[in-house]
Amino acid sequence: MKKILIADDKATSRELLRTVLERQGYAVTEAADGEEALQKALAETPDLILLDLQMPRRTGYEVLGELRKDPRHAELPIIALTASAMQGDREKALAAGFTAYLAKPVALVHLREEVQRLLLLKDFETAGENG
Amino acid sequence: MTAPDPEQARAHQESSLESRYRKLLHAAPDAILEVNEEGRILILNEAAERMFGYSRSELLELSVDQLVPASMRGGHAQHRAAYAKRPNTRPMGTGLELQGQRKDGSLFPVEISLSPNWIEGSLHVIASVRDITERKAVQDRIRLLREQYTAELTIKNEQLESRNREVEHANRQKNEFLASMSHELRTPLHTIIGFSELLAEQLEGPLGEKQQRFVGHILQDARHLLELINEILDISKIESGRLELKREPFDFSQCVEEVLGGIRYQAATKNITLENQNRFQSSLHADRLRVKEILYNLLSNAVKFTPEGGRVWVEAFSQGDTLHVSVCDTGIGIPEKEHPSIFEKFYQVGDASGGTREGTGLGLPITKHLVELHGGTVSVESRPGQGSRFRLTFPLRPAT
Repeated sequence: MKKILIADDKATSRELLRTVLERQGYAVTEAADGEEALQKALAETPDLILLDLQMPRRTGYEVLGELRKDPRHAELPIIALTASAMQGDREKALAAGFTAYLAKPVALVHLREEVQRLLLLKDFETAGENG
Repeated sequence: MTAPDPEQARAHQESSLESRYRKLLHAAPDAILEVNEEGRILILNEAAERMFGYSRSELLELSVDQLVPASMRGGHAQHRAAYAKRPNTRPMGTGLELQGQRKDGSLFPVEISLSPNWIEGSLHVIASVRDITERKAVQDRIRLLREQYTAELTIKNEQLESRNREVEHANRQKNEFLASMSHELRTPLHTIIGFSELLAEQLEGPLGEKQQRFVGHILQDARHLLELINEILDISKIESGRLELKREPFDFSQCVEEVLGGIRYQAATKNITLENQNRFQSSLHADRLRVKEILYNLLSNAVKFTPEGGRVWVEAFSQGDTLHVSVCDTGIGIPEKEHPSIFEKFYQVGDASGGTREGTGLGLPITKHLVELHGGTVSVESRPGQGSRFRLTFPLRPAT
């Protein structure tokens, strides 16, 4: 079972994402701030992280920066989640090293597609390395 | 009658010539003095008397040194000696501010020109002295005015700069406020829309017919609210000049299909026929998302203002370097007197006729801005009861 870490300081948002992703058959863990997100990401090595950009203690960008320093997480799919909709946000997130970017409100169909796509891509690449 | 004495005539002539030279000398506005090696004044004109306030006889008794300010008098004899070593016609004390001293002790600024005059082997000097009091006063006044003007300009510039900083600061605060407001509004909408979608999917359990309809209402209005927030954000970006186009070549006909697909559900609920009459099959170099937004705004307006069972269609064709697009409907139309207002911010069709208000009144102004950012135009043809036609143009070769 694929493990997904959801990092968002809003409990209702975490519940929404957890409900959608669990129904897709993923194992979900939650973090309520940036520091917790970083600790859980390092301890539990999830297959994919949904990372809100604006969180207490550490921003999504800071968590990303820390994770990308670690070679084990250099290729980990990390999706930026944000309710900010300013022009250039997406480009900024992708340039910083996020694998993908989803703007809130996220259409559930996009969320499911994006998570599935990134996990398939990861499997494909891992298979390529091993084979 | 006696014959004129030639001797007497010549003397008369000479004396007449001397008198003419004397008059010439006295007519000069500058003081003219001839001074011998000892500094004694030998010849002077009337201007010299007036300028220094001495009588002619007094001046003839004076050393020229007496006409120099007391503070400079000590060095003047040396200056005269230095001139005697290199006697030529030149201004005295070039670059220095020279002064004369009147009989009453008062000082005045002068300019002096010196010329040598050899008399029987001894060096006399002709000094031409010009009182430059007025000229200096004018120069001083000009300098003062210039300094005042420069000082005022500096103050004005500083005020302007500080005003600019204030405006920039206020603008930055406005933008930051809008950005954070947008973030704060979208955060709860994220869960409202998300949970509504979850309920509507009925994966967590079946809903009754009414419940399904209610959840549908929540979803629809939440999405509408999101559109309004996006529109307010857009207009503020446009007004602060921060909205930038991301131009790229894209398939225009596919873009039309996508937008029509997005509006199909709305049209179907009112039994409105949607038609695609696009004849432009090439690629358009423009901001794809913004072109979709333009078409979506016009099409959703068309559907909104077209009664049950009507028709909404898109026409497009290219002519020369221009793509012509029309979004047309068989709707209620717009009175001609409202045509100039509908592209203004916060105007609602029906304002003048007392119709119902819906939306922000920002859709058409944003549409117009987006078209114009692309270098295109937008116009409307419409009459009440006879439908509307919004005409757009896009340049196919945008100015680089």
